[in-house]
Amino acid sequence: MKTSFLAIGAAIAASGAAAQDLPQASSDWFTAGQATIEARLALEPNTNRARNVILLNADGNGVGTNYALRLFAGQQAGGLGDDHVLPHETFAHMALVKTYTTNGQTPDSAPTASAMLTGVKSRNTMINVSENVAVGDCANLPGNELTTLSQIADDMGKSVGIVSTARITHATPAAAYAVTANRNWEDDSALPEDCTTQADIAAQLVDGMESGLIDLAMGGGRRHFVPAGTVSEEGNEGTRTDGRNLIEEMEALGAQYVWNDETFGALTELGNAPIIGLFQDSHMMYEHDRTDEPSLAEMTAAAITALSTNEEGYFLSIEGGRVDHANHAGNLHRVLTDGVAFAEAVQMAIDMTDDSDTLIIVTADHEHAIAFNGYCGRGSDITGLCMGIDNEGVENTGEPNLGSDGKPYTVAGYLNGAGSVLIEQEDGTYSGERPDVTNEEAMDPDYLQQALVPMSSETHSGTDVAAYAHGPYAHLLGGTIEQNVIFHVMHHAMTAE
Amino acid sequence: MQNLTRRSLLSLICAAPLALPGRLFAQDAPIKLRDLYNRDMSFSDIALAHEGLRITIAGFMAPPLKAESDFFVLTKMPMAVCPFCEPGTPWPDDILAVYTKRIVNVVPFNVPLETTGVLDLGEYVDPELGFYSEVRLTDAVYGRA
Repeated sequence: MKTSFLAIGAAIAASGAAAQDLPQASSDWFTAGQATIEARLALEPNTNRARNVILLNADGNGVGTNYALRLFAGQQAGGLGDDHVLPHETFAHMALVKTYTTNGQTPDSAPTASAMLTGVKSRNTMINVSENVAVGDCANLPGNELTTLSQIADDMGKSVGIVSTARITHATPAAAYAVTANRNWEDDSALPEDCTTQADIAAQLVDGMESGLIDLAMGGGRRHFVPAGTVSEEGNEGTRTDGRNLIEEMEALGAQYVWNDETFGALTELGNAPIIGLFQDSHMMYEHDRTDEPSLAEMTAAAITALSTNEEGYFLSIEGGRVDHANHAGNLHRVLTDGVAFAEAVQMAIDMTDDSDTLIIVTADHEHAIAFNGYCGRGSDITGLCMGIDNEGVENTGEPNLGSDGKPYTVAGYLNGAGSVLIEQEDGTYSGERPDVTNEEAMDPDYLQQALVPMSSETHSGTDVAAYAHGPYAHLLGGTIEQNVIFHVMHHAMTAE
Repeated sequence: MQNLTRRSLLSLICAAPLALPGRLFAQDAPIKLRDLYNRDMSFSDIALAHEGLRITIAGFMAPPLKAESDFFVLTKMPMAVCPFCEPGTPWPDDILAVYTKRIVNVVPFNVPLETTGVLDLGEYVDPELGFYSEVRLTDAVYGRA
């Protein structure tokens, strides 16, 4: 039998049999596969200089989380999910990205954003500081500050914008304008008194607006811009202890300040930068809970409209910041509703730009301790139970698979976090068993997927993320790369002759 | 009394309609905390309909602010504390302040609870803790769900 297979193979090779002669050639899978090859054969590198660069980062949306997002978006659209194509998955060029840092097998969002913005890896917890400085070591900061892509873009006459659903002083957005030996120094109340070599992160944003580095910033984090004892728009006090009201300072610089849906909608002169939007005292709301604040896609549209008025172009950093936070909470529903909001922002960026002059890179900074069970039949709800595979059909059997404990299990789970099945007992020990969960319960928006190691907050993981590119020099993304290479792709595209 | 069994809690729930004939319909299941609020964080019809009544709410006990207290915060999801996302950990908007009958016996933050008490709506600042709340359960008892 083996001989006859080999003989057939040899005959095909010898005759150069065309693919369409194969018995499976009429399959839709086969013709779609051929179409993919035709499309890739037709690809030509785009070697235009990138006038504009947009970096879209869904915080915590590693390869696993993005897989869940694909299924969720597809199932929301009425399909089985796995064959869905997210906006960034239409891009022809991509790479797998290694996210470890100089001292962390598992990274946090500070050095990962820093790597993408400066072109070098550095230590966890620090932003745009070389690895020669220890965390929090202000004294050794001078001389170790790194130059960012924002500064390079600004020097080229481009505008620079930042959009995030996290606090605008949070690690990822801060990397576009701040240098700090500790990511937690978001306002002066957290900055050590003896640290005189850097300002707090919020103050650095004001410095950036004053110097002309930053033209637009939208996100959360209002409390870091307002003094303690001063009540801001939503009735809460600020946290600054230096008495500065940074919002008033930015308005004095000519910035338009917006803080809710109404004021955001009233932004009429989008070309008249600078613009500062602070829509929450802390992070903006999860998309599932969002009210009276713009969506990530709406902020993306406003930012592109505003920054596009600069003929020299722009660099725009956009973060879907709360995919990460919902993963930390172990609440997959909010991970994915925020992921869909991020995907809508990606589509907005694609629709509003021209790939002849705008490089778009879509990536994540790191992955989480999310994991997936099997063997699930197609159409198993990604936030629900893993249903059986139908041996005679396509869609799942509707009957949940069971563990050896006789209980069903969800498609996705976490290796650690608040959803741990091990519960602290009165004597301080941990024990427990898996709750018996129904598909309806698992799909509740407030459900926490089951986890193993008990922790108050689920952790990041060092698993790869993907980076997808579209536009000038997108083809430089390929293979398995270090995270800092993303800077070099953007830099090359921006400066290519 | 601090660690009610499910059975004793259910007996309390069942007794409530008898105590308030004509005003309260028996709950088939605990009210979800999120159902007390509308999307704009105003009180829902469910909250308004149960104001002043003894009801049971499902949720989780946030790590207590103070030991030996008769107060805890009920959250709709386990109050995960994320060192990277929440230094200073602000409270979510949709919480429920619970004033208990007895000193609180702390339950881990991720154990589902059913808490029964009198629903009290309106702004209130705790004179001792300074804790601001818009909705509370008073005279409350609780147990694992």
